Amino acid sequence: MSVDTAVETKTVFGAEVPQPPQHGAAGGVMRGLNFGTGLIGGIGLAAVAGWVTAILTPSSASNASFAPMEPTYVYLAVLLGWVVGFMLGMGAFVGPLRWVVGRDITHADAEYMAGKDLGRKRYWKYTTDHKVVGIQYLVVTLFILGFAGLLAMLIRTELGMTWTSLFTPSFYNSMIGTHGIAMIIGMIVVISGPLGNFIVPMMIGARDMAYPRLNALSVWLLVAAVPMLVSSMFMGGIQDGWSVYQPLASQAPVGMLGYQMTIIIFAISTAIASVNLMTTILTMRAKGMTWSRTPIFVYGIFAASVMGLYAFPFFQYAQILGLTDRVFSTSFFDPLNGGSVWLYENLFWLLGHPEVYVILIPSMAVALELMPVFLRKPLFSFNFAVAGIVGVVALSGLVWAHHMYMTGWAPAANYPFMLSTEMISIPVGFLVLVAIGTFWRGTAWTRLPLMAVYAVIFNKMIGGVTGVYLSDVPADQYFHGSMFVVAHFHFMLMGAGLFGAMAGIAFFFPKMTGRILDERVGSIGLWTAFIGFQITFISMFVAGLQGQPRRVLDFDDQFNLSNWISTIGAYIIGIGMLIFLSAIITSWRSGVIASSNPWGSKSLEWQTETPVPLENFPVLPVVTERPYNYGVPDPYEAELESIDEDLTEKAGTK
Amino acid sequence: MSADTLIPEEPEAPTNRPPSMERVRSWLQRPYARKILILTVVIGFLLLPLAWLLLAAMNQTGAPASEIMKDIEQTVFVFTLVSIPITAFVFAVLVYSLIGWRQISGDEPPMQDSPAIRTNTIGVILWTVASSLLAMFLVVWGLVELAQITANSYGSISADEQPGQKSSEIINVTGQQWVWTFEYPEHNGLTSDILYLPLDRPVYFNVTSKDVIHNFWAVELGVKIDANPGAITQTGVTANKLGTFNVRCAELCGMHHAFMQTQIQVLEQDAFDSWVRESGGKKTS
Amino acid sequence: MSTSTLPVSPTTGEPITTIARRARLGLWLLIVADVAGTIALVISYSYLWSLNVNGGWAPPGATLTANQTNSTLPTTPSTATFAVEWPFWAILFVVVVATALMWFGYRSARSGNHAGLMVGAGLSFLVTVAALIFQWIQMSTFPFDAGDGAYASAVLLLCASNIFHLFLLLFIGMGIFMRARKGLIDKTNWYQAQLLSYYMTWVCIAFLLGAILTTFMVESPNTDPAIFGTFKQQ
Repeated sequence: MSVDTAVETKTVFGAEVPQPPQHGAAGGVMRGLNFGTGLIGGIGLAAVAGWVTAILTPSSASNASFAPMEPTYVYLAVLLGWVVGFMLGMGAFVGPLRWVVGRDITHADAEYMAGKDLGRKRYWKYTTDHKVVGIQYLVVTLFILGFAGLLAMLIRTELGMTWTSLFTPSFYNSMIGTHGIAMIIGMIVVISGPLGNFIVPMMIGARDMAYPRLNALSVWLLVAAVPMLVSSMFMGGIQDGWSVYQPLASQAPVGMLGYQMTIIIFAISTAIASVNLMTTILTMRAKGMTWSRTPIFVYGIFAASVMGLYAFPFFQYAQILGLTDRVFSTSFFDPLNGGSVWLYENLFWLLGHPEVYVILIPSMAVALELMPVFLRKPLFSFNFAVAGIVGVVALSGLVWAHHMYMTGWAPAANYPFMLSTEMISIPVGFLVLVAIGTFWRGTAWTRLPLMAVYAVIFNKMIGGVTGVYLSDVPADQYFHGSMFVVAHFHFMLMGAGLFGAMAGIAFFFPKMTGRILDERVGSIGLWTAFIGFQITFISMFVAGLQGQPRRVLDFDDQFNLSNWISTIGAYIIGIGMLIFLSAIITSWRSGVIASSNPWGSKSLEWQTETPVPLENFPVLPVVTERPYNYGVPDPYEAELESIDEDLTEKAGTK
Repeated sequence: MSADTLIPEEPEAPTNRPPSMERVRSWLQRPYARKILILTVVIGFLLLPLAWLLLAAMNQTGAPASEIMKDIEQTVFVFTLVSIPITAFVFAVLVYSLIGWRQISGDEPPMQDSPAIRTNTIGVILWTVASSLLAMFLVVWGLVELAQITANSYGSISADEQPGQKSSEIINVTGQQWVWTFEYPEHNGLTSDILYLPLDRPVYFNVTSKDVIHNFWAVELGVKIDANPGAITQTGVTANKLGTFNVRCAELCGMHHAFMQTQIQVLEQDAFDSWVRESGGKKTS
Repeated sequence: MSTSTLPVSPTTGEPITTIARRARLGLWLLIVADVAGTIALVISYSYLWSLNVNGGWAPPGATLTANQTNSTLPTTPSTATFAVEWPFWAILFVVVVATALMWFGYRSARSGNHAGLMVGAGLSFLVTVAALIFQWIQMSTFPFDAGDGAYASAVLLLCASNIFHLFLLLFIGMGIFMRARKGLIDKTNWYQAQLLSYYMTWVCIAFLLGAILTTFMVESPNTDPAIFGTFKQQ
């Protein structure tokens, strides 16, 4: 037996605490690993795997249509080599391997992995501290969104230059595909990643996430996925839109493998992150934090995790099947050999629609979370907010085929799917009710986070109402596949989702970075982007109404005017977003130092000091009251009571 | 005022609870209540032209050329009208929150809190009932319209069994990268790359694809269905307006997706027949 | 300083009961994700089976009928020594045996029977290796290749999914055995063996689904599918 049975003690807050027996010595190879060794491992293994595959593949290897298979095999080997090598170099396999041989991570190792006394180096390591992971998520997400935003600018430039063509059709198609999927990935993680990891454990009064090492795994898998997505641009690109419908995707160049591998890895990352967040929320809430005392943001993150958990495997398997079609000549989606295009569409949209709520619910939740702080009154009808979130989650898995009204896969199914889709406007309406109820008679402290909430609610109304047209089969018969759809989902995902994320980042910025986000520059950026957003997408609605199909490089002259206006608006968004980004960067480096609770919030995460200590709270908090306990007694209540009294008296005298 | 005085002594008093109208009246007398209602009405009227503007944009290339398209436009019109009140109300609250209820700026949290309204039973019930009724209306409208459109398109074949109905036309539509081919099996397999349709006669489309997914969109006719490889989908329409209309591909189908367009010519029956004769087709009827 | 009766985690110092509760919840949630993935496979198999697109469900030249799979399939270079459906049941049986052994090991650990734990975990590991070998043999001796139509694709992917699950079990099973040998799993700290037992039970269900599909959904119900690119039926 190699178990160390000697009990050591350690002084914690002045008390002698027995230390657990350790299953082996501390230290080991993992202390020398960081992002640099990850890059070396990833690039090295990718190079070796690619080289070996190139040697082993006979040059005559070809598929049924006589296309040479060597590039496919080599690219796949390079991608696999990159992921495995990168995770190996980061030290992701240290924990599991030490578990197998029974030499568990010791307490000293765990503290090292949490980044204790490592200073800034901890941001470059496989660090388990949820606050470090949150910052890592934020940086990666901003990079993804910036990359996708740059592609959006290029797309609008091409569409605005109606007299000429800047790009080849292939490259244009590749840009819209990559823009789409990069934005979707970025928007899925932009709130759940940075804010979910950094804020949620503090908000529920926990010291860390339930599985700190899985937390690090999820963020570094995301980091590993990004270069794969970018690399596909150089391997012929994703020329099939973000949904990569089969069998068009089978025709695509080998770059499609980059997409498929990205999704497979990203789905693993999401599943792990979801399990982690859900377990944290379910088991680690502070003493006294009953469900009615849990902040609404925690509900939102939980709901997003639920949907991500059950929906992502469908997308992942859709891509695995597509990958085997490409690499092993199976025929899941090849209609010549018994494959079905409708199978792909079903699997894809089984993720595709819940994913929309994975983006929207956290954004609404963060808006509802910060409103009480800036309006100095409780959240209006907390129960309805919860009911709205629960309702959306319950219906999210039953609406996927409204993306397939026009595919003809099952015309009779259009009736029930139209019913379930329009039903979902009721729980979403609850969330809007909670928002306007909280605005009701509130004295608005018009700081940047609250102002962004006005933008979110405005955009959400427009996106919601236009969504009603699309949920209706007859109207969708005109709008499906047109620019109207593009404008609608940008209002939802960008107008409500991204502006909600901006609100959340501005709100939690002081806690995350220790500095206040520059109010003036940030506001200029926000409102510039907002105005540009309205110009771009309202004229895109017009293009859709006129009948412009989406994903086209060229179009009839009748659509010129709306596309010109759209492009001008897009540049304004671009400028606004750059200003907002510059506010983030300059404030992060040299902004005003924030106090520990600059907004005067009553929520738990603001009660600890800034910068947040490693273990968040010196003593774990106990919750004794409902959240959002702001406000003074309502003066009108007294008036109402006196009315009651008068009437009662009258009734009594009759 | 002590709480004791509020409790009526008569046992029958609770049955004489004040009518809620009284509460509503007192609510209306609050300074913000009427302003928000007026703001809602004003914003509603400002949004009202949208109902017609949307249709104007949809009709830019020509008025609806079939009953189906008319139904679609009617749906868009009604949905716009129905959603205006609720949108106007939300916008009115947003606007009034910024200009009406007090607002403050500054670096420090406000000293004074706002009224602690944790819920409002009447408001919540009103909202729930209104939004549910609205959703029910949309669902019912959608189901009825869908049934009607389905009858108008899929029902074309059965329609010609009715006495006095003009016989229908069957057209096989094939999409391939990046052209449309229209085959008239009843006219000796005549094929064309422009879609010729007879006026006022039901047309029945069989749609498929030879490579990837395309989407057959006859814009002004309001017809849209995917052309799937390995499957045949069916739809139909009765064109009721002469003229030239557009077919566009509405599903990304590769490099030249943007150029996968063609024309629809809706012709009088005589002109249609002579086109069939001149193109070498056989006249069936 | 007396040793606490409550065992604690060497890493975080929290009581094992707390860690175990958290780990059990996490496992159930991961199983949810795994179930969703398996449902995606079941959907794929049954959807392609029901459609028989372009008559491409059965391998070219073969007629698939239930219970006669072996005799009616043409033999390709890899020799056909197995019928398609019964090995799925046989492998399922082997995995069930491994699961039962693991349950025995876990129950032994809970009652303090260390020898029982060692026997259960060790044998379970060996039987899982046998299942993996069996599965590999089956997969490499099918009388069809991946390119032989939708049925071949779907069956091969079911096997691949099984192999993926078996590799996971091998890794965790090895860990449980090694840790049991080191005495890290005992009367007070048995939750990891319990988790593996739970997970193996779910894996049995996943194998069962594959066996059911390949046994009862062989011949496509759609006998006159449309011919690709035309408006004719077969």
